[in-house]
Amino acid sequence: MTRRVFVLGLDSLPPSVLYTELGERYFPYISGLVAESQRYIMRSCHPPITVPAWMTMFTGKTPGELGVYGFRHRRPGEFSYYIVNSRSIRAETIWDWAGKRGLRVGLYGVPPTYPPKPVHGFMVTDFTTPGPEKPYTFPPWLRKELEAATGPTRFDIVYRSHDKSRVARELLQMLDNHLRQVEYLATRKQWDIFIHVEISVDRAHHAFWRYFDKTHPRYEHHPEYSKVVPEVYRRIDEWFEKLHRKLPRDTVIVIVSDHGIKAMKGAFLLNQWLIEQGYLKLKVDPAGLKPGTDLREDMVDWEHTIAWAWGGYYSRVFINLKGREKKGAVEPKYYEETLEQLRRDLEKIKGPSNEQWLNKAYRPAEIYPEVNGDPPDLMLYLDDLWWRPAGTLGWPTNYLEENDRGPDDAVHDWHGVYTVYDPEETLEKGNRGEIRIEKIRSHLEQIITQHK
Amino acid sequence: MAEKVTIAISKELYEKAKQFIEEQGGFNTVEELVEFLLQEALGTEEETPEMSKEDEEKVKERLRALGYI
Repeated sequence: MTRRVFVLGLDSLPPSVLYTELGERYFPYISGLVAESQRYIMRSCHPPITVPAWMTMFTGKTPGELGVYGFRHRRPGEFSYYIVNSRSIRAETIWDWAGKRGLRVGLYGVPPTYPPKPVHGFMVTDFTTPGPEKPYTFPPWLRKELEAATGPTRFDIVYRSHDKSRVARELLQMLDNHLRQVEYLATRKQWDIFIHVEISVDRAHHAFWRYFDKTHPRYEHHPEYSKVVPEVYRRIDEWFEKLHRKLPRDTVIVIVSDHGIKAMKGAFLLNQWLIEQGYLKLKVDPAGLKPGTDLREDMVDWEHTIAWAWGGYYSRVFINLKGREKKGAVEPKYYEETLEQLRRDLEKIKGPSNEQWLNKAYRPAEIYPEVNGDPPDLMLYLDDLWWRPAGTLGWPTNYLEENDRGPDDAVHDWHGVYTVYDPEETLEKGNRGEIRIEKIRSHLEQIITQHK
Repeated sequence: MAEKVTIAISKELYEKAKQFIEEQGGFNTVEELVEFLLQEALGTEEETPEMSKEDEEKVKERLRALGYI
């Protein structure tokens, strides 16, 4: 007999919420399970971002092995980028493994699972789905059934808006839609392993963290906005209590996140800094650009450019290497020395008041056992993720209090949660320290295959 | 007519499918039903959902708006 497992994935839920009095307050039911669970602090991957983190968790492979370093990638020699999708994940997932053993799987919202692939069970794809008019389920006919029973599927919201009331409304609508759909699938379909990733938690954190986290440098109590994060938590908790009562009593319950979250201190304009330092040269006058201008290929004086960067929750930095890039300027014999110099300079970047930052720039080969796909030359974290690297131009300063692409209150953090509640009590309860995200798959497999 | 191969399915499922056809019609044989359902589930070469350029642009736009890129 294998064990039946329900995985509730709460995107970006940090231990500072689930494992503290905040968890008891806002997740009273789930907290009760957590108290009776085997608990870990989950150490996320490099980079600690939704894509690739969930797939690292469910394949057991690091982003280097997967060849997935974020949502976007760049083929050598090209300036533009492509987006990863389910086809980019070539490694075996836990649901492939389970299917081959005759176990039935149910997947909901695991990024990136669009376009849907056949599974031994059913799946509904995630927020990277282009739209609800696309085939987003397996089997394909599940889509109509699901929509007839629960209404149209809502994949995501646009949260970087100053119209926070609208964001809150749409966020809660999306959450309710997901919870309705998961309940329908979990209670009416046959499954041995059900994995639900709820992205609404992450969206709530990014849009409303500064109204929730009292330690946020821009914390503000707001009669409406401060209620949004607790309301998202509360709805999930109440819903899960009802769902849990309907599941077979011996179901193992896993509560897990892919990374943590913390206050965003600000955004640092990395390409502007590269220009100032002489690494990046433009054909146009940077001072004449409008704030928020994207770096375009035709703007760059490639013959005099050594490096350029992408922004995001972390930064990817590329060397303009001769022989690899279209108009490469750095001779291969100087690659090592250039890269190391750039790394030293990046790690020395200081804060707006000249305060020391904890910056880390890694070469992919230093942090992964294998480096596949299209990796950057350097992966940069500013001030241990507190500052968001931004790639746009035209700003009067290199330090922005807000993000360059619209309001965002939070950045990602290294630690998430992983707890396993076994009603049969075959697992030792209590705090078990840290678990690396790529070890979760084998841990889950052991639980699934253990004999009662 | 495409070349055919033989596959084995459980007797129980076969009987269930046979009964389904007898009662509901739509197919002459279990073989036809299985062929149809597999085709529906896997899609034809042309129907297999791939990311079109247009879809990719849509997703890029959304990821930009979400701040991932």
